[in-house]
Amino acid sequence: MPIMNNVYRHTTAGKHLTDLADYEAAGGYVALKKALGMDSDDVLYQFHRSGLRGRGGAGFPMGRKASFLPKDSPHPSYVVCNGDESEPGTFKDREIIEFNPFQLLEGIVMAGYAVRSHQTYIYLRGEYEHQANVLRAALAQAKAAGYVGDNIAGSGYACNVTIYLGAGAYICGEETALLESLEGKRGQPRLKPPFPAVAGLYHSPTLINNVETLAALPPIIENGGDWYAAIGPEKSPGSKLFSISGHVMKPGNYEIVLGDTTLRELIFDIAGGLRPGRAFKTCWVGGSSVPVLTEEHLDTPLDYESLQGVGTFLGSGGCIVMDDSGCVVRASLRLAHFYRHESCGKCSPCREGTNWMEKILQRMVDGTGRMEDLELLDSLFGRISGKTLCPLADGAIAPIKSSIKYFRDDFVRVIENGSPRPEPMWEVAGV
Amino acid sequence: MTAADIKAHIDPIRHEYADGRSLVLPALKYAQTEQGWLPPEALAAVAEATGYSQAYVESVASFYDRLYLEPVGKRVVSVCITLSCMLRGSDELIEGMCEHLGVEHSHGAVTTPDGAITIQEAQCLGACDKAPCIQVDAENTIGPLGQSEANALLDELRAADRPRELWR
Repeated sequence: MPIMNNVYRHTTAGKHLTDLADYEAAGGYVALKKALGMDSDDVLYQFHRSGLRGRGGAGFPMGRKASFLPKDSPHPSYVVCNGDESEPGTFKDREIIEFNPFQLLEGIVMAGYAVRSHQTYIYLRGEYEHQANVLRAALAQAKAAGYVGDNIAGSGYACNVTIYLGAGAYICGEETALLESLEGKRGQPRLKPPFPAVAGLYHSPTLINNVETLAALPPIIENGGDWYAAIGPEKSPGSKLFSISGHVMKPGNYEIVLGDTTLRELIFDIAGGLRPGRAFKTCWVGGSSVPVLTEEHLDTPLDYESLQGVGTFLGSGGCIVMDDSGCVVRASLRLAHFYRHESCGKCSPCREGTNWMEKILQRMVDGTGRMEDLELLDSLFGRISGKTLCPLADGAIAPIKSSIKYFRDDFVRVIENGSPRPEPMWEVAGV
Repeated sequence: MTAADIKAHIDPIRHEYADGRSLVLPALKYAQTEQGWLPPEALAAVAEATGYSQAYVESVASFYDRLYLEPVGKRVVSVCITLSCMLRGSDELIEGMCEHLGVEHSHGAVTTPDGAITIQEAQCLGACDKAPCIQVDAENTIGPLGQSEANALLDELRAADRPRELWR
């Protein structure tokens, strides 16, 4: 159960590297200089060798994604960093930016070099204005030191980084919605294909990666792709930040080697376990858009394949834990409320369907539900799933459908009796 | 805020975007810093500064939670009510805060009669480690907050002067 501080060591070692001199003293920018001395394709090949998978949620191999960008496009290519981080339970990108902004800036410039881009963007959710200020200050230092701009580190390579803020919309974390937002439009997803690698920002080849993915690149170039690929299981190499929250004693971000740590170890050892006298009820292990797990899944190793093996997803690594004081129906209702609120409205099955999901769960919680509502929800899921442009609607269904599967008795009890108000507020002072 | 003020804000960053439409969102956010919301005059100024119609810039503004097309209070307090915060008592927290402010709790935004504070439910703020957490305008999200701390913060906000620029 090792807690790792390897890839994001600067983030989780407790020392904040918001000053360039400190970052350089910790070995920062050695990797970028090394990358700039290599051929772009060789840098890309190292990304590929590493087996690094996208850390935003989808888990698509980063090197492969980058290799999809055409090399002979008449349009300029772009790198866009997805820092919209709005998945409930997820707050890892926030800490990377707050504590280690240069590692992200180093990573994004390196990615830019690999795909021959001279303009990159970091899109942050509007609520991260404070984090944007940290990043702006770091960017100013990086520019002054020649790590961003023309002729980076004397290599002749030019790359600009632009920070762009959203204004409050979960859907802008979906890559094509993010591009729409960055183009000054309503943040609604596009029909794919074409994929962003071919026609992304301004209809040009675009590489989009999450903050955590791009921040992993400097250590990969510094130590080589094979070094990274050798960490953890073959199909899920490397380390990952898990954000853990909810009913645990020590919520926070923890970097673990994929495959080395079980869900039980994450919750009970790393995150300090539950309150005394409480038992584990359920958790949303990869953000709120994934199927829930139960006690019988606690010994599952945390990696992409193992979690898929028990019917869920590693997702963003935002693990929300609920103990036996919580009510799964009430939790489902809260998530349905979230997805209804955040549905962009473009696809009717999502716009209408999330609304109905919330209404049905609300009447269950209010004690006016009907037994047929369980079948009604099930038929609703079938009418929504796979019928929308983006994964938001399927993400809304997954936690609720799985909750009904594992905790049907709880739903029946709530339909019969309603759900009591939650117990008194978590004792803040005691945490 | 005039179109010229907005142009002075966006012109220096125009070269970073291949299409000037990308400046609509930064222009809207900047225009909002003056009054804390976007009255029709502000939308007209954004339209003039960016070269898009007022209808277009309003359609963009209406998409985003943090762009306000109705008047809001001197300070906007967003209380996260999504799952991690709910599990740690956000529902009672926001109800207690509304009671302290003397306003009726609603799922939407509600402003105190004196216009000092708008309190609203927020979807996940990305600070679940600090649950239950709240954000004042677009300042750094804080938490975990007990009821008395939250109420004290509201009193402080009410007493303090309005920031010169309202980034929210």
